[in-house]
Amino acid sequence: MSLRMPGSDGKPYDPGFGLEAYAQFFAEDYYLSALPHTIWLGVITTALCLVLGYPLALHIATASRRWRGILYGIVLSPLLVGIVIRSYGWTILLGNTGVINKTLKDLGIIARPLKLMYNDFGVVLALAHVFLPFMVLPLLAALQGIDPAIGQAARSLGASRLTVFRRVTFPVSMPGVQSGCILVFVLAISSYVTPALIGGMRVKTTTILVVDALTDQFLWPFGSAMAFVLAVSAGLVVVAFALLTRMKWK
Amino acid sequence: MRLAEALLAIFRVLVYIFLLAPIAVVVLASFNAGNFLTFPPQGLSLRWFVTFLQNDVFIDAIVYSAVLAALATAVSLVIGTMAALYYVRHAGREAETVRVLLLLPLILPEILTAIALLFFFYEIGVGLEHKIALFTGHVLMTLPFVFLNVTTSLQGSDEACELAARSLGASRMKAFRRITLPLAAPGLATGGVFAFIISFDTFGISFILKGTGSAPLPIQLYDYLRFNFTPEAAAVSTVSILFTLVAVVAADRLFGRKG
Repeated sequence: MSLRMPGSDGKPYDPGFGLEAYAQFFAEDYYLSALPHTIWLGVITTALCLVLGYPLALHIATASRRWRGILYGIVLSPLLVGIVIRSYGWTILLGNTGVINKTLKDLGIIARPLKLMYNDFGVVLALAHVFLPFMVLPLLAALQGIDPAIGQAARSLGASRLTVFRRVTFPVSMPGVQSGCILVFVLAISSYVTPALIGGMRVKTTTILVVDALTDQFLWPFGSAMAFVLAVSAGLVVVAFALLTRMKWK
Repeated sequence: MRLAEALLAIFRVLVYIFLLAPIAVVVLASFNAGNFLTFPPQGLSLRWFVTFLQNDVFIDAIVYSAVLAALATAVSLVIGTMAALYYVRHAGREAETVRVLLLLPLILPEILTAIALLFFFYEIGVGLEHKIALFTGHVLMTLPFVFLNVTTSLQGSDEACELAARSLGASRMKAFRRITLPLAAPGLATGGVFAFIISFDTFGISFILKGTGSAPLPIQLYDYLRFNFTPEAAAVSTVSILFTLVAVVAADRLFGRKG
């Protein structure tokens, strides 16, 4: 579709093929500049998810049976709640008159509301929240497969806790880290609602531009071209990440 | 070491709070008595639930989403399990290809899958009529979750169990029913729950393929939130949260225990 000719007379596309859509995409800075920004948001979100998620997964994997159920529930609970609702929750928290700003103001810490929403900060925070379970679950699956005896053996042979983590736990959990990161990254760059609601129209991502081009403006070839470029870029990042982690850990 | 562990514990608690806060805030806001979304609420009231219950748009959307999710999950479970069985037990050299193909809807951005389906159904002349495109999209989106979970369960189990059952005289069907299926049950349960939730909450696919007429809940809510800030949306959200919670608990009771 991205190779079709741009449509005329309100039709989504015209017969015939060409590279017009790609030419248009690469010519217009407004659209082109959104791409690295989108990838960047995805990378930051993924890193944040890994940092937040790993301690949780480790904690749950080693928790007692009863606690494990409860903690598992907490981690899964955001999944039970639609992405629209979770983004909505963040708007209540982060808005100019939202919970955080109001509390800080009442405490006299700030005079004017902090800008927490309608910028990259809010979007990344909300995205990390939305996709954290997708990081924790693969990590947990990988960690639970580890026999605790291995760690105990290493410890009894004189390894410190940190060494056990570095030399045993982390390498063994690597498949989980890999799948978790890839999952979160792809979900993050392709999400529409969260950047749209939290970012207002001020944070533009390629995904938002694609959807607008397709559903509002009926520019099918152009929208497809953008989507395809985004998918290829994302694919490259994922492949690079997979190669990098494999080289290091295998 | 002590200090590091204490810091780690605090960090963990903060992350748990981070996970729960936005949801808690929505639920609390739904009991707000005031006209605007403020926090803490200006008094407690159920008025926004009443408003919501009188609003057919949201009621229809919830029912619609639930039916759609249930149907998509059922179809996904059947196809996904078959695919997982083939992948784990029978696929030889092409195993990796099968896996990648099945995970494509997950690997590709959801929006891209939606666009592909939009073009496909437009091209074959069906368009967005009869919600066929929407349903196909939901099955497609949920399939990888079933496939992944069932595959994990099957890989964790030993094929020798089936072979043993077969060599002891069990028919293929019986070996499947008595050995394979129970072994895969945890994967089926997790995959099924995942599938249901994904379908119930998915936005991209529904947004692009919704067509005309009634739309799934996330779409209605999003449309509403773009222009309104009343706590009614919070009430709708609270009900929706309860709904999925019930579905998950029910699924867990039905097949979760076997694992």
